[in-house]
Amino acid sequence: MEEVWKEINLASLHQRRQLNIDHEPLNQELPPLSSSTQHGSFLPPPATVLSLNPHSIDTHFDESSRFGCSEKKRSQDSDESRGDRRHKRMTKNRESAVRSRARKQAYINELELEIVHLQKENARLKRQEEQLKMAEATQHQTKKILQRSWTCPF
Amino acid sequence: MSLSPRDPLVVGRVVGDVVDPFTRLISLKVTYGQRQVSNGTDLRSSQVLNKPTVEIGGDDLRNFYTLVMVDPDVPSPSNPYLRGYLHWLVTDIPATTGTAFGNELVCYENPCPTSGIHRVALILFRQLGRQTVYAPQWRQRFNTREFAENYNLGLPVAAVYFDCQRENGCGGRRTS
Repeated sequence: MEEVWKEINLASLHQRRQLNIDHEPLNQELPPLSSSTQHGSFLPPPATVLSLNPHSIDTHFDESSRFGCSEKKRSQDSDESRGDRRHKRMTKNRESAVRSRARKQAYINELELEIVHLQKENARLKRQEEQLKMAEATQHQTKKILQRSWTCPF
Repeated sequence: MSLSPRDPLVVGRVVGDVVDPFTRLISLKVTYGQRQVSNGTDLRSSQVLNKPTVEIGGDDLRNFYTLVMVDPDVPSPSNPYLRGYLHWLVTDIPATTGTAFGNELVCYENPCPTSGIHRVALILFRQLGRQTVYAPQWRQRFNTREFAENYNLGLPVAAVYFDCQRENGCGGRRTS
């Protein structure tokens, strides 16, 4: 996903260089452009990045023809809004990732608590079983011995 | 014992988004069909169509409890501007019994999220007396804290939550 965004922004940067707009500082997240693209003439984008998506080259051609006739200001605005949209998307994605991690962690913690609880219960039940077995064993023994009861007539 | 920061209710942000930190005092057992709900259990819409069986603990039958079932992630967890959808409200539940013995003030409406994975929390409060709690006017924008304050319910005595998503959801993961 990150690669698609890089491609789109590289494409926009190529256009900016083409129209000789050098107002905004380059976003630090993007890889630095090679020196060959700093001239006015359009050069094919570096194969390493854009080769991933052949379609981006087509859109590049369309946008360059459009931008050739529009004013500088309009392209600046859309560049800014593109940056804004990207930032919004990033924050939303970040929040979603936080929620996802919290969800996972909460589930794991719950499972761990259940394990502890079940182990304790298991130990308790086993002890109970042992005690019952012992009680039954001793009871069984006493039955074999004859005992004098107090209701005995003599 | 009060909640530790590793408690699932804290990590899942139910404590924070829905209620304030509290201490568990009463046992709460929620079962959908054969499946007992533990914090963070993953359920689909089809599995929560009908109201669950709810059993509570305690020891004195003269104490009455209120159960609130609320979804804080409406309409979507990334943008919960309608936060607090009341799915179910049962009051006057005697201790050691369950919702079947209480008063269903707001009938059960099955959670049916359209986007994202929603948390659905069941919160149990202790009432000061019988018939001291009333239903709100709407289900949406239900503020659990405000509700508890209005009816003198204090802090919760128990809570559990599960994650609910639509039937053919993919667990929040991208499929393409």
